[in-house]
Amino acid sequence: MLFATVLGGAGVPLLATIGVLLAVSALAALAPRTRLNPRALSLSLAGLACIALVVLGATVIASGSPVAASAGDVLGFAPIDVRYDPLGGLFLVALGVAGLASSLFAVGYTTHDGPGVDRTAAAYPVFLASLALVFGADDAFAFLLAWELMALSSALLVVGRRPSAEVARAGYVYLVLTHLATAALIVAFAILASAAGSTSFGAFGRAAASLSPAVRDIVFVLVLVGFGTKAGAIPLHVWLPRAHPVAPSHVSALMSGVMIKAGIYGIVRFGLEILGPGPEWWGLVVLGIGVASAVLGVLYALMEHDLKRLLAFHSIENIGIILIGVGIALLASADGVTALGALALTAALFHTLNHALFKSLLFLAAGSIQSAVGSRDLNALGGLARAMPVTALAFGIGAAAISGLPPLNGFASEWLTFQGLIGAGGEAGLSLVARSGALLAVAGLGLTAALAVACFVKATGMGFLGLPRSPRAAEARETATSMGVAMAGLAAACIGVGIAAGPVSGVIGGISRGTLGGTSPTAGVFAPVVGIGALYAAGPLAVVVLAVAGVVWFVGVRRRTARRAPTWTCGNVPEAAFEYTATSYAKLIRLYYGPVLRPEREIAVELHPGTPFPRTVHYRGEVRHVIDERLYAPLHRASVAAAQLVRRIQSGSLQAYLAYAVVALVVLLLVAR
Amino acid sequence: MPDPAVFGALVVGLVQLALTLAVAPLLLGITKRVKARLQYRQGPPLLQPYRDLAKWWAKQPVESDAASPLTGAAPAIVLAAVVVATLLVPIVGARPPLAGWGDLLVVVGLMALARFVFALSALDAGSAFGGMGSSREVAIATLIEPALLLALTGAALAAGSTDLGRIATLGVAAGGAWYTPPLLLAAGAFAIVAVAETGHEPVDNPDTHLELTMIHEAMMLEASGPRLAILMYAAELKLVLVAGLFAAVFLPVGIALDLTPLSLLVAIAAALAKLIGAAVILGVLDASLAKLRILALPGLLATASIVAAVGLATRLWLPA
Repeated sequence: MLFATVLGGAGVPLLATIGVLLAVSALAALAPRTRLNPRALSLSLAGLACIALVVLGATVIASGSPVAASAGDVLGFAPIDVRYDPLGGLFLVALGVAGLASSLFAVGYTTHDGPGVDRTAAAYPVFLASLALVFGADDAFAFLLAWELMALSSALLVVGRRPSAEVARAGYVYLVLTHLATAALIVAFAILASAAGSTSFGAFGRAAASLSPAVRDIVFVLVLVGFGTKAGAIPLHVWLPRAHPVAPSHVSALMSGVMIKAGIYGIVRFGLEILGPGPEWWGLVVLGIGVASAVLGVLYALMEHDLKRLLAFHSIENIGIILIGVGIALLASADGVTALGALALTAALFHTLNHALFKSLLFLAAGSIQSAVGSRDLNALGGLARAMPVTALAFGIGAAAISGLPPLNGFASEWLTFQGLIGAGGEAGLSLVARSGALLAVAGLGLTAALAVACFVKATGMGFLGLPRSPRAAEARETATSMGVAMAGLAAACIGVGIAAGPVSGVIGGISRGTLGGTSPTAGVFAPVVGIGALYAAGPLAVVVLAVAGVVWFVGVRRRTARRAPTWTCGNVPEAAFEYTATSYAKLIRLYYGPVLRPEREIAVELHPGTPFPRTVHYRGEVRHVIDERLYAPLHRASVAAAQLVRRIQSGSLQAYLAYAVVALVVLLLVAR
Repeated sequence: MPDPAVFGALVVGLVQLALTLAVAPLLLGITKRVKARLQYRQGPPLLQPYRDLAKWWAKQPVESDAASPLTGAAPAIVLAAVVVATLLVPIVGARPPLAGWGDLLVVVGLMALARFVFALSALDAGSAFGGMGSSREVAIATLIEPALLLALTGAALAAGSTDLGRIATLGVAAGGAWYTPPLLLAAGAFAIVAVAETGHEPVDNPDTHLELTMIHEAMMLEASGPRLAILMYAAELKLVLVAGLFAAVFLPVGIALDLTPLSLLVAIAAALAKLIGAAVILGVLDASLAKLRILALPGLLATASIVAAVGLATRLWLPA
């Protein structure tokens, strides 16, 4: 029925259905707890809405024609217009899939925060709705409304109803930075609106060409700051590793999997479609930010032993990989090399979709561990693979996917990104500086991929293999069925998209060409067509690898049953203390990349009185975050100092304030005369 | 009668498969023999690696009681990844056996897959040695991979494609003109990387069983029986893979462009000569170099990255 109406050309009923489902879902979350279990009802409705989102997105992509609707002038001063084109449709599909899995997961996932109804849960459907609106808003006011709703609802979900001091602080940092970002966007939109005489994105696109280059550059920088902050790009990332880990896992999954992609959506929509093509330096800046985010993100992830903080830093890394693709697309479109631009944008959008799948999966698995063990500290886990096989396998698949290993989906999009970089390096149409930058980025992306392998061997190995490092880890049991189903679904999606990389990248290639201005595909330098088919056959390759592995396993492993015996530990009884920990596992990397990571350690030895024998040894290790210390700490000090200065004129007397107002008015009149 | 082109490709593919699978343990035998002779020792017979594999294959494996099913699955996946990666490299004919299924990035990806699974399985028994080897392996890999990709990018730019078959074809066809300064710089970088990737001096000592110095050996300390044989064989085959990759890209001379019996014979002889040459060089390195301190490795491998980057810069900024 739904399909019929949509295919009939009207996505509007579907949009209305989604709206109603999410509204009822939000109301259900507020209802008192009865035998009906309003929480499960609310989540089920949200899940249904997510299915509808996938259908809507897929329909828009398949038909190639946008779905538009208007809620009219409900605000009294600006229309709420939505228009889902294939680019928005792709993000809708990512949102729908990740949202469906997260909603399903949340049914079985209990947050241990006491009795009574948690009314903050009503923010969850609002969060989904605002995300869906961001990807389709066609008017600056509608967009900012959705953007703000997205920030507020996610902040509410992060802090929950009884936040600890640490959580409240994370929420505060998040709110402050996200509003700074919104401020940058408002200024950018104001400049565009005054040039266009309208607040609709269509008018923005037509007006952008008439802006002077300097103004266009300013708008681009504002847009980059605004959307880059939301995406978590370095150096605007500081909120991300604070806010993502403390949220409930199904919310972390959506924030990392989808919400930060709203930043990517904005950069693509504005940087490439509305403002572009711009000068070459736009692309170089984005490429540089991408490489820095990728390398620093994964290095900091390696230093973490809190599983969810580790995953949060990996989100920064993956945003970096996506931005590398976007940067090459900007470079290529600046120089009119459309085939390369489409290839690079395809890589970026494909990685966006893939990251939504595997990062949601990994956050959900982390949530499963947390609810089974009560900890997300890798140094307190271990040996969970035997007790929690579903979670272990799902996490392992997600880990292999995010590490960019064939034949999973992460490899396919990283492969395309590499093709974009090498292609740019060999493209005579680009400037030498741009080509050199692209080739340097090859090394950066290679380093990132190798570091990601290191990090996920660490996370998976410390979490699931070896001996349990805490009593709670030893007693862990597999978690609820709904959580397992959600994880299994996402893991299957990672495998499926990886194997179908050819067709999927073909579809995304169509979206990229549409976004870049609908040029016909010409033969690129490196990939004969935008897509994978010619040089990487994921499906057949996966079959061969599996077949060879299966034969080897059958004749070499299965045929001979192993005798089981304790691990050899030089004659001692094996215990968890002999194992490498997450911290020691990363030690060599900490030393190798010491100039960047600047590790500190302190060892305090207390001796038995009067003897040279140690009684206790305390070890403390820390990695200083360069950007926090060198950029944000001075900014923080400066803003506090500025506030102290301003305080001097804050007398608290009404007369003084009136006098200020008069002086300000006179000055303004003089200036604006 | 099948299509002759398809039939020919099938024959070349099967020849390469058979050659690489058969010769892999021999190369280890040669390396050990060369090392021993340089140290004035008799050394093991050339065929000893085959006997070792047969011996392990016949034994019953013992596994840790902490192990998960990964311990059994990992050797199979590691070997499969290396076998398939080898099939993507043009070693005998310019069309690799699985032509069109993957380019040089896929080969690097499959090597990463093997490393990921192997390093993960090393943690399965909960032994300190496994963690030691595993953490060293993945950390050193982060130094290897940028240099490896930069070196291969140099070759890809020379051929205008990341397709290894195309690179080898152009390389053979160009003759001496293939070996331009940028390509030679890339080859130098790749050579350093190849030593590190295959675990030879000065990065790793394949013969050591001293726990403080082991990398590769530490990771398979808990493996036994057929599983040990599989992992050992995968390591031997990886040498064929890395040497074959080097030869296909940086020394393509001799690779068969057509399918006449003569050029096939020449190609087989050339491939054997290159692989044996690599084994001899590794033996000489093993005998003549001391192991670098593990903290000195960034210096060595950064050199490789810089050499490769200089190669790319010459290609871009100094037009021939």
